Amino acid sequence: MANTEGRRSQLLRGVLDLCLLAVMEDGPAYGYEMTKRLRGRGLSIVGEGSIYPLLGRLERDGLVETRRAVSNGGPPRKYYSLSSAGEHALKAGVREWQATRDAVDGALGLVKAEVGP
Amino acid sequence: MREFVEECRREWRLLGVPDPIANEMAADLTADLEEAEAEGGSPEDVLGNSAFDPRRFAAAWATARGVTGPPAPDRRSFWRPPVAVVLTVVLGAFAVLAGLALLVGSGSSSIAVATRRIVVGPGPIRLFGPGPGRIVLPGPLGRPLMGIVGVRGHPFALLLLLVGVVGLLCLGLAALYWSPWFGPRRLRRHQGPRTPGWN
Repeated sequence: MANTEGRRSQLLRGVLDLCLLAVMEDGPAYGYEMTKRLRGRGLSIVGEGSIYPLLGRLERDGLVETRRAVSNGGPPRKYYSLSSAGEHALKAGVREWQATRDAVDGALGLVKAEVGP
Repeated sequence: MREFVEECRREWRLLGVPDPIANEMAADLTADLEEAEAEGGSPEDVLGNSAFDPRRFAAAWATARGVTGPPAPDRRSFWRPPVAVVLTVVLGAFAVLAGLALLVGSGSSSIAVATRRIVVGPGPIRLFGPGPGRIVLPGPLGRPLMGIVGVRGHPFALLLLLVGVVGLLCLGLAALYWSPWFGPRRLRRHQGPRTPGWN
């Protein structure tokens, strides 16, 4: 059986792109800003790998749009925002996640979770 | 931090990422790392566990963006085929010649005689046999060679034998060189980073 960290990593791997798309709903953001938004929602990626390759894939797939702009007095940054295809992908992905989560909850919900954290 | 970005740049260069794109990625990365540092954070806050493997991170990012260029011309793959053919033919010919010459020049054994007749036919032997047409190594080289090898053969045959043996050794090394266990790192790298899709 995989250890806790390994399982968490695998679970995240399937939905981290949705999480990134979700934080972009708050507005355009550059890479590190998205990391902070994720952290603000309780999702820390420390130990899980960086988001840059994933952002690159989202960009290549046309799910995000990018533009360069000066950040608060800092150097020009690459800002990512949802494209219309990204919005559709996010909605479809969330539906899929919820269905999967409900099914898993159905399977695991009856288990008496008395195991410590 | 600077070392991390420089290492990424080197990897992108190897992967054929166009300079403008590499510059852009490096600038974004630098800006994010500097911001995290200014906030008292560490590179891990930005990069997660990728902070410990810049090359892998850089390769994963470039691959995900689809900005890697065609594999750089592999010097070995460029010269391997023609050199392989030439090496095989030349060294193989040397080996065969060496063996034949040794047999032909090794005196009056039945094998030597038979080989002589097969190779040069009946009649006077001009190349390897005794006589005025015979090729002899210069004295200082010929006699020691015969002494070292311990074979009573023609000096020229011994020389060819040595060349043939060296040639076969070279072929062996060449086979090892071309084997999958000795492939260049670059080829393995172009098979894709061993990393999660988002790492």
